[in-house]
Amino acid sequence: MPDQARSIVLAPPRGIGRSLLLTLPIALFTLLLFTPVLRQPGLPAKLAALIAWGFMLTLFFLMMRTRETYRWRRIFFITLAFMFPIGFIWDLIALRSSMSIPIEKMISGDTPFCFMVIPILLIPAALTKTLIFPGSILPTPSNPHSIAMMVALWLLATVVLGKAWCSYGCFFGGLDEGFSSVAKKARLRKINPQWRLVPWAILVAVVLLSAATYEPIYCMWLCPFKAVTEFPAVRSVQTGLQFGIFIALFLGLVVVLPYLTKRRTQCAFFCPFGAFQSIFSRTSIFDIRIDKEKCAAGCVLCQNHCPTLSIDKDSIQAGKTLSTCTRCGACVDVCRKDAAVWHIKGTPVGLSPERARLLYLYAAWVFASMFGGSIIANALQKLIGLLV
Amino acid sequence: MAIPNSFSFELFGAKKRNMYVLSRRRDRCERGVAERVNGVSSVAEALALGFGSGPVCLASCGPVLLPWLGAEPRELRATGRLLALFLGGRLAGYLAFAVVAWAVGAAIPVDPRTRTLVFGLANFGFAALFGISAFLPRRHCPLLPGEGTPRLYQIGSADRFRPPAALTLGFLTGLNLCPPFLAAGVRAAATRSLSGALLFFAVFFVGTAVWFLPSLAISPLRRFSVVPTVARMTMGALAIYYAYLGIVCAASWRLAPIRAGGLFIFITGMVSHA
Repeated sequence: MPDQARSIVLAPPRGIGRSLLLTLPIALFTLLLFTPVLRQPGLPAKLAALIAWGFMLTLFFLMMRTRETYRWRRIFFITLAFMFPIGFIWDLIALRSSMSIPIEKMISGDTPFCFMVIPILLIPAALTKTLIFPGSILPTPSNPHSIAMMVALWLLATVVLGKAWCSYGCFFGGLDEGFSSVAKKARLRKINPQWRLVPWAILVAVVLLSAATYEPIYCMWLCPFKAVTEFPAVRSVQTGLQFGIFIALFLGLVVVLPYLTKRRTQCAFFCPFGAFQSIFSRTSIFDIRIDKEKCAAGCVLCQNHCPTLSIDKDSIQAGKTLSTCTRCGACVDVCRKDAAVWHIKGTPVGLSPERARLLYLYAAWVFASMFGGSIIANALQKLIGLLV
Repeated sequence: MAIPNSFSFELFGAKKRNMYVLSRRRDRCERGVAERVNGVSSVAEALALGFGSGPVCLASCGPVLLPWLGAEPRELRATGRLLALFLGGRLAGYLAFAVVAWAVGAAIPVDPRTRTLVFGLANFGFAALFGISAFLPRRHCPLLPGEGTPRLYQIGSADRFRPPAALTLGFLTGLNLCPPFLAAGVRAAATRSLSGALLFFAVFFVGTAVWFLPSLAISPLRRFSVVPTVARMTMGALAIYYAYLGIVCAASWRLAPIRAGGLFIFITGMVSHA
């Protein structure tokens, strides 16, 4: 799907000088972000920061030069998702000698906080002023992944980018995007659109059950990414069952189904955080509009190429994507008629869409470099440390 | 106190009798007032306890009630009737549990095996009801020639009432003890009579029921066509969860030793849970 998108882009590439000029603001800003890492002692840290900085700048330059978004963003996103477990597992093993988290560590609040838990926390916090996650609010030496830090980052990204968090911030989504890119053709093509409602059902179920039981039900039972991060130590039938569910969900939703469908199945058909983030889809000023007058008769390229099934015939008629749209840019890149365009709310549709894209990319890439870039640098540092 | 002389003894005796009668009257009066005050304070306490612990009650019953209300295609008034039936069933469950518990000589049954059995049956009940609602296909008209989607026709009243399901769900949530109910149970055990305990529970229930009123807000959400589908999917997920809980309870019931340190295990378990 993305390969096809690449081949049918009609817009001419931008000049190298102009592309460099457009990359300059990002270069200066991200230099500020990477400076603390560059100042860290030791060659691996400096080298990792330089490579990560260069990687982010190169991708942004290519976005400017080729006028494509999806292809280069996908490279960043997949790299982030494959690098995150490396750095995370490395830290876990350094701290605990194991990927499993024993109950004693949970009781002492040493469970690293993940943004997936945010919707689960809200109702118990509102009703009973209780945080039902065994983590720490502020960073500690034994648990640097604190609740306050992650919530602050999520708030920042949500206000500016809205649902685009799922394309630039989530450090898991790139895994199923990566596996969805492996096959050349989809083997499962017909997908009932009702499956798009499953994340909402999972969200409602886990939020209600977590409020009833005072336990983060999603993390305990349903998170596929526990298979590649951390999981409760298997010490009983229940924890064994949990571990089995994590593995089965990971293989099914993140590996096999994306490969068969060439869609981000975990994100589109399961992730409750994605559904929660869709609520904030309107907070961002950036969106994608479809001018149905420009659409060629019978053309549903954008619908066919959307990795999260966020475009259907009704939404094309309405001239916009569904609230589940992650602003990945696949539909814009694939459209031959320039009917799908980037748009800033409050401005006329189709008025300098490239300018809207640039503004969006500046916001998204600053966040991606700050959050994802540091994760990539961290993992690279560990890998380089092995060699040097 | 000075010793009275013989002259005044009779007078003193009369006075003493009168004083005794007066004292008895005053005691009775004070006792009556005290009982009334106790009764009023007990009612107020039950109401305050119910109102104070209402959010936890709502959180406990939310997984059962909210998807159910979301899946039922109803107007606000009909949703209100469903909610009332659910709450009525819940009250019946509470009172039934209280009566049975009282009959065995305690405010709460202390035998963990019996308790596990009741919890397990309640969880299987939830799983069965939710599973039926979520997974059983609904009848609809077949595709018409040339139509992309089936046209659905409602035959009969759109607001057809199905009270048994709401009552059953409410009754099962009443049996499925939650921490606030246990707090009320412990307090009600201190009352002298069964009627007093039942009154305490009933008033406590009224206090908690206030918190359920916001769930009526689901009714306007139904104007989004996806809400009933999402609610049914949620019930499907919850059916699996409750079936799992039921299996765990059944396994515990099969394995649990009869009356093994019942009271101690029960109290410590509930305190740690709360």
